Amino acid sequence: MSEKVYNLEEAATLSPSGEKYIVLQIGPSHPGSGHMRLVVWLDGDIIVKVDPDIGFVHRTSEWLSERREWIKAVPIVERIMLPDTIHANLSYVLAVEKLLGIEPPPRAQYLRSLAAEINRITSHLYGIGIFGIFLGSSTVYMWAFGDREPFLDLMEMLTGARITYSYIIPGGVRWDMPNGFKERAETVLQYMERRLKDYEDIWVKNPVVQARTINVGVMKREDAISLGVVGPNLRASGVYYDTRKHKPYAAYKDLDFEVPVMKNGDAYDRLLIRVEEIKQSIRMIRQILKDIPEGKIIADNIYNQLNPVMKKVYEEKRRVMFPAYMIHLRPPPGEATSMVEAGRGEIFFYIKSTGDKYPYRFRWVTPSFRNLPFFTHVAVGHRLADLPAIYGSIDYFPPEADR
Amino acid sequence: MMELIPLIIWLIQDLLYIVVFPGLVTILVLAIVIIWLERKIAAKVQMRFGPLWVSKRIGGALQSVADLLRFSFQEFIVPEKSDRWAFIVAPGLMFAFSMISLIFIPVGPYYSYLFPSYYTILFSVGMIIITPIFAILVGWSSDNKFSFIGALREAFLLISYEVPFLLSVASMIVLYRTFNYVDAVAYQFRGLPGLVLNPLAALTLLIVMIRTTGRFPFDITEADSELVMGLFTEYSALFFGIGMATPYVELYAFSLIFSLLFLGGWWPAPLYAHGPIMGLIIPGIVVVVKAFIVMALLVFLRAVYPRYRLDQAIRSGWSYVLLLSVLSVLLSFGEVMLLR
Amino acid sequence: MSEVRKPRDPVTGHIKALAKGFKYLIEPNRMTLDYPAETMKLPPNYRGFFTVDDVKCIGCSMCEMVCPPEAITMVPRIVGSGGKTLPAESAPQDQKAAKRTKRPVVNWGKCIFCYFCVDVCPVDAFRPTGVHDVAFYTDREYRPTYEEYLNPPEDPYKSSKKVVSKADKKRGVSYEPAP
Repeated sequence: MSEKVYNLEEAATLSPSGEKYIVLQIGPSHPGSGHMRLVVWLDGDIIVKVDPDIGFVHRTSEWLSERREWIKAVPIVERIMLPDTIHANLSYVLAVEKLLGIEPPPRAQYLRSLAAEINRITSHLYGIGIFGIFLGSSTVYMWAFGDREPFLDLMEMLTGARITYSYIIPGGVRWDMPNGFKERAETVLQYMERRLKDYEDIWVKNPVVQARTINVGVMKREDAISLGVVGPNLRASGVYYDTRKHKPYAAYKDLDFEVPVMKNGDAYDRLLIRVEEIKQSIRMIRQILKDIPEGKIIADNIYNQLNPVMKKVYEEKRRVMFPAYMIHLRPPPGEATSMVEAGRGEIFFYIKSTGDKYPYRFRWVTPSFRNLPFFTHVAVGHRLADLPAIYGSIDYFPPEADR
Repeated sequence: MMELIPLIIWLIQDLLYIVVFPGLVTILVLAIVIIWLERKIAAKVQMRFGPLWVSKRIGGALQSVADLLRFSFQEFIVPEKSDRWAFIVAPGLMFAFSMISLIFIPVGPYYSYLFPSYYTILFSVGMIIITPIFAILVGWSSDNKFSFIGALREAFLLISYEVPFLLSVASMIVLYRTFNYVDAVAYQFRGLPGLVLNPLAALTLLIVMIRTTGRFPFDITEADSELVMGLFTEYSALFFGIGMATPYVELYAFSLIFSLLFLGGWWPAPLYAHGPIMGLIIPGIVVVVKAFIVMALLVFLRAVYPRYRLDQAIRSGWSYVLLLSVLSVLLSFGEVMLLR
Repeated sequence: MSEVRKPRDPVTGHIKALAKGFKYLIEPNRMTLDYPAETMKLPPNYRGFFTVDDVKCIGCSMCEMVCPPEAITMVPRIVGSGGKTLPAESAPQDQKAAKRTKRPVVNWGKCIFCYFCVDVCPVDAFRPTGVHDVAFYTDREYRPTYEEYLNPPEDPYKSSKKVVSKADKKRGVSYEPAP
C-alpha cells in the first residue's frame, strides 16, 4: 500500500487521455485479464483508477431463455457459470418449482446438496488455481486443476458429464447415485484432505504468498455490506451471511456445517476462506453419504405421468425420463425468486410467468457481477502488481458477470 | 616452418576454449538442456508429463530445438512506432554481452592463454553488469507500455541488486587476495571451498543470481499476469528467442562464477596439469557439471514460488541482501585477519 | 477462524515449501494421461454421441420439441419391412399405402449433449455409444443424413490403450487398463 491515498472522487474525473498518468489497457487479450478489459491509470507504480470494462462475453442468457420453453433454460444458465454449473441449474429450478408448487422428495434434496457441494469444491479449486497463476505459481495452478479431476470423475459417475451436468430438473434430479459411488466418494475425500496439507505448505503458508496477499486489497466490513459484495468475499470481510444457513434450500436444513468467517478482508483471508469452505464441503459430503434417505428421486406428480416404458427404466436404472409434461411446463401466472449460495457467492433469480409456455421475464444476478466493486474501490492506491492479486483473490469469472 | 607448429597448436587450443569450454557449443547445448530440464522439473512437481511428443523416446529433450526452429522461421515484426535500430540491435547486444562475460571465465588452469589477464574476476563481473542496460534499451525502444514498465522495473532492480552482487564478489576477492579465478580456485584447493569459508557471500550471490536471471520468485520484469511478456512483449521470431535465451546464458555465466568462487572450481581434478585432456577437458567437465547443478537448483524454484512484488524485491535488495553482503565482506576481512 | 490465519515465519515457510516441492519432484504424482496413446474408456452412462434405434422409434417428434439448442430435425421416412424405415423419396408417388413417418437427425455442431432428447423419448429409443473424442473436419460432417446418423462417429482412438479411471487414496486418480 502506498502512503499517498487516492480518493474515488478524484479518480472519477480522470479521462482516458490523461497526460499525468500511464493508462494501461489490460485486456481483453492479456494473460492477466480474462475475458474483460481493465483500464488502469497508473501514477508511477500506484494505481489511481481502475475501470473494469465488462461485457465482452455477454451471451444474452436472459433473452434466450425468454424465448424458449421453460425446461430449455436449464442448459443455458449452466453455460454462463461453467466452473459452477450445478448452482446455476439449481437456482433456476428452485424458482421454477416455486411457481409450479412442486416439492422434490427428500432423497432428491440430498442429491442436490451432494452435487452442489462437489461442485463447490471444484469451483473453489478453480479459483485457487487461477489465483496461483496470477501470482506466478504455475504449480498451484496445475495442482488445483489436477485435483478437480477426481471430483469431476465423481460427477461424471453421477451425471454422465464432466462440466455441464444438467442434473437438476423441476421436481427432482435426473439420475440416482450409482453403485459404488459412496466408496469412491469417500476415497476422493480422503485424498483431498491429504492434499490440503500440501497446499498449505506450497501455497497458503508460502512466505512469498503471504507477502503478496496479507493486507493487500482490504475490503472493510462496512464497505463490503454497502457495496453488495457476496459469497466468500463477503464472509472474508467478517460478515456472517450464507444463504445455505439463512435461507436453507435443498438439504441444508438437515446438514451440520459451519460458515467460515474471517476478520481482515484482505486477499489472504479470501484465499483462506476458500480452503476452509472446501473443508466444510468435505464434511457435508460425508454427512450426505451417511444420512441420505431412501426413496424416490422425483416428485410424485411427475413420476405419475411417466409412461410404462419410462417407469420400467426408472425402476431398472434409477434414471428419470421426462414425461411430455416437462416440455410443456406452464407455470401458473406469478412471480418467483430464488437464492442459492454458489461457489463464488449468491445467485439471485427472478422469474415471472404469465402462464405462457415461455417465461415472461427471466432475470438473474450472478455473484461475479456483484463482486465487481473490488476493482473500482479496492484496487485504488495499490501497486500494479497487486492488481492480479486482488483479481485472483476475488475469484472473478468474467463470463459469469456478463451473463 | 618448425617454429610455427607450437603456434598452430596454441591456436587450435584457443579455438577449443572458445568453442567448447565454456564457449558457444556448450552454452547452446546447455541452454537447450536446461530449458528442457526446467520444464520437466516443473512438470514433475505439477503432476504432468511436460514436453514429450517431440522425440518421445528421450522424454521430449528435443523440444527446445523444435522451438528454436519454429522461432527461426517466424516472421519478425518491427512495430511501426518503435525506435527501429535500437529495437533490432538491443536484444543482440544483450545476448552478446552476456556471452562476452564467458570469455573471461576460465574452466581450467590454462585458460589464461586466451585472455592473459590478472583481473578476470573483475572483467567477467563487469560484462555481466552491462547486460541489463541493454535490457532497458529493449524495453524503451519497443514503444509499448508493458515493455516500458518492464524496463523500469529492470532498472530499479538492477540498481538495488548490483551493490550486493559486487560486494559479495568483493568479499571473495578480499578473502582470496586475488582478482584471478585461477588463483581463487588454487586458494580453495589449499583449504576449504568458498561456500564453507564465506556462506554469507554464497547466499548473497545466489539471491542476486535468481534476481538477475529472472528466476522465481524474482520473475518481476516478465510478470506475465501484469506485463504480458515484460521487455519482450513486442518481439517475435528469433529475436524473441534471443530474449528468452539471454537469461539462461546469464544463468550459465553466474553459475560458472559461483562454482569457481564457492564450489572449489575444478576440484577434484588436479589443480595444474598438462595436456589438453587433464589441463582442459577434465577440469572443464567438472566445472560445467557443478554449474549445471547450480542451474538446476535455480530452475527448480519455478515449481515452488510465485513472484514477489517490485517494491518488496527492491526493499529486500536494499535491506536484507545488502546487509548480508556487507556482513560477508566483514566476515572475509575477519577471516583474513585471523589467518594472518 | 483466527487460528487459521497464523502466518508462518519466513524461514520455516521457505524450507517447508522447498521440501514439499522436492518431495513431489522425487515421487511425482502424475495425473495426466498420455493422450492419445492412452485414452479413457467412457463409463456406460457417459453422455457422448448417441444414435437412435430405427425400429423402436415411433417418430413422435418429442425429442425435436425438447432439444434446447434446436439441434434435432425430423426427416420424413416411410416404414419398410420389419419396421425399418426407407427414405421418403423411395416411396412411389401414387402409392397411398406407404406408411409415412419421421425420424430424428442430430446436428452435431449444435448438440450440447444434455440428453434431454434421450430422456424424453417415450419408447427409450436412443442409445448412447460411449464415444466422445471425435473431431469433425468439414461442416458437412457436422450435419449427418439419417443413414449416417444411424452409424454415429466411431472412436478415432480405437488402437490406443484403453484405460478407466479409478479413485485412489494416494494419487487421487489412477488409471487401470480397461476390462
